[in-house]
Amino acid sequence: MGWLYLILAGLGEVFGVAGINRINEKKDWQSYAIFTVGFLFSFGFLTLAMESIAMSTAYAVWTGIGTVGSVVLGMLFYGESKEWRRMLYMSMVLAAAVGLKLIS
Amino acid sequence: MNRNWMIVLIAAVFEVAWVMGLKHAETPNQWSGTGIAILVSMVLLIKASQKLPLGTTYAVFTGLGTAGTVVVEMAVFGEPFHIAKVLLILLLLGGVVGLKTVTPDKKTKGGA
Repeated sequence: MGWLYLILAGLGEVFGVAGINRINEKKDWQSYAIFTVGFLFSFGFLTLAMESIAMSTAYAVWTGIGTVGSVVLGMLFYGESKEWRRMLYMSMVLAAAVGLKLIS
Repeated sequence: MNRNWMIVLIAAVFEVAWVMGLKHAETPNQWSGTGIAILVSMVLLIKASQKLPLGTTYAVFTGLGTAGTVVVEMAVFGEPFHIAKVLLILLLLGGVVGLKTVTPDKKTKGGA
């Protein structure tokens, strides 16, 4: 279960960050709601994940999922570049996360 | 060191503090401290990133936070040193730092 919680925590972070980006563009209540709910969700599930996963592993994977998620969101919805270096870095993050799961 | 980079460093210290808190807090005081540390680290990071290049700021912050949690876990909580784990965390960090620095530096589309 710990790893499922960790993935949910990472996705929550993507929403929280998307909320910050929206607040920069539009200060309506929906932006603040996305920001607040996203981060509450994120820290809540991160706490649950850390009951069974080591602190450093959980933190690194949480940051990794958050970063990759934001980049994927940018590529899908904001037409950001899909150049090869970004693909390479994303595969490094994902491969490392899978490796950490396998050894933990 | 420039004052804004000093703020990034302090933000990372608070980041490591809340990570410790989420894992180890038990009393209401410790949980409140954890919540405050989350807010302080976010506010400081946002403040610093207004004056510094966004991608680099986040990359340095993430690097410090990740290294900090690894070191604290071993030094304070007596977690044994696993070479495979540390190498995988370094690989992950390399990918995150790469993504942060290669991403176009637009103020409205940063990662965390």
